[in-house]
Amino acid sequence: MNKNLYLKELKRNRKNLLIWMSIIVGFTFMVLSIYPYMAEMGNNMTQLLDSMPVEIQKAMGMDANTWSSILGFYSTYYGVYIVVLLSIYTTSTGATIISKEEKDKTAEFLLTKPISRQNIVISKLMALFTLCLIIYFVQVICAVLGVLLFSQNPVNWENFFLMHLGGFVLMIFFTCIGVLLSMFLQPKKNFMGMVVGITFGSYFVNAVSKSTDTTEWLGYFSPFHYMNFEITDPGYSFDYISGVIMLVMGIAMLLYSNKKYGKKDIAT
Amino acid sequence: MKAIETHQLTKYYGDQPGIIDVSLEIEQGEIFGFIGPNGAGKSTAIRTILGLLKPTSGSAKILGMDTETQGDQLRKKIGYLPSEVNYYDEMSSRELLEYHCRFYGDVKPGEIERLAEYYELDLDKKITDLSFGNKKKCAIIQSIIHEPELLIMDEPTSGLDPLMQNHFFEMMEDLNKKGTTIFMSSHILSEIQRLCDRAAIIRKSEITATEDIRQLLKKQMKKVLLVFETKPDSLELLEGSQKEKWHDNKLSFEYVGATQPLLKWLAELNLLDAVLEEPDLESIFMNYYER
Repeated sequence: MNKNLYLKELKRNRKNLLIWMSIIVGFTFMVLSIYPYMAEMGNNMTQLLDSMPVEIQKAMGMDANTWSSILGFYSTYYGVYIVVLLSIYTTSTGATIISKEEKDKTAEFLLTKPISRQNIVISKLMALFTLCLIIYFVQVICAVLGVLLFSQNPVNWENFFLMHLGGFVLMIFFTCIGVLLSMFLQPKKNFMGMVVGITFGSYFVNAVSKSTDTTEWLGYFSPFHYMNFEITDPGYSFDYISGVIMLVMGIAMLLYSNKKYGKKDIAT
Repeated sequence: MKAIETHQLTKYYGDQPGIIDVSLEIEQGEIFGFIGPNGAGKSTAIRTILGLLKPTSGSAKILGMDTETQGDQLRKKIGYLPSEVNYYDEMSSRELLEYHCRFYGDVKPGEIERLAEYYELDLDKKITDLSFGNKKKCAIIQSIIHEPELLIMDEPTSGLDPLMQNHFFEMMEDLNKKGTTIFMSSHILSEIQRLCDRAAIIRKSEITATEDIRQLLKKQMKKVLLVFETKPDSLELLEGSQKEKWHDNKLSFEYVGATQPLLKWLAELNLLDAVLEEPDLESIFMNYYER
């Protein structure tokens, strides 16, 4: 790894990181802070929920337990918005961290330095995953603080952390897709639309698959299908096999990207 | 060991040829020019040698090292000046040059400031606020600051004003004297004429000739225009003279041969004025271009 390049990438991305971090942290606190008000209305909300079509309830990951505990309430938002937001940030960063040099035509500068292409990829990926870890842990810490602050009852911390582990696996998986994507698309392209499409689209496909039995098969195409966020379910558990498979697939995508980058002509 | 050695280096962009069978041998300590019209393949050749492009076939060695497998080590010994300068907009020249230097490890302290002063570059301005010429100055500094053994320059003087070009040429001559090999592409023949020992001509992706610049000039004819006080009754012209024309007391002819005999011959004449015109490289190379 080249320290010079690694530090430069962190510095270059810090502004973007701060913006996304404030959005995600703000959203986490907002969700947790409105829980006490929601809990007060719990009975009314349960009635309201019962009046909604069961398909929508399933799609949104809501059930009668949603309002009864802070984790139930938080998990519906975590699995939908927070994981998608985290993934949009890390995937778009993954899609641009290498290709940006070509887009901005600075690749000519970087690749004529005494550093191999493989070293460039490794240093940039290290920076990318450092950014991923920072935003991930900041969000988890804020969630812990928020739960401590706003929870009225004891909380099952084991499930809390297992759920966040699922978020982590999804985030890393999407990030690797972003890196792989940047190897196949024109560097001049704006990746943002595609990144939002893939992350939010995956969630949406999974939501549709959960809503009825006839659409269940769709779920297999969505990474969200393999990570369970409904932690108020009595049989909640973390699917370690899926988690490991997704991480291995992610590593394979990175290795392939590295190989591909080593062989390509650099656009200038 | 050659500074640059390419063996039938070929690069195709799909079906489009970039360079075909380029074989070059550049000695250490040489200033080698690479001349050709726009789109002939100069930049493609340079980018392939640098490892930015992967050759379709053929190979290239720099300072004895293979460009494909030992690229990162050999680039430590290379300074590269691109024809179009694109840097990180958010950085200042100073930040860029410091970033550049950290890739090489040990660069003399104060060197950035010294070179910036020489080229009159404001180090604290953001790259995005620099003019084309000032970006070029920054690029020149980054190409030489780590004291490379080999300088590869793609149209080095484009965007520089005449004063800066002069500064630049002086520095190149100076570096060359200290042993730096220089490989530069250009379509401006006067700069090739001024700096280079040898030059290769590339046209439609292929090298059409590699010539020694001084030999080339030596071989060439001169145009001679003489103004006499009075037209002499009889005048025996030197061997090698041709197409003489008298116009009152003015004589013009073309001369092909060594310069010394011509000067001796001229010294004995009773002249008001004498003009010796050396055809510039332009007209010599136009032959190659138009072939």
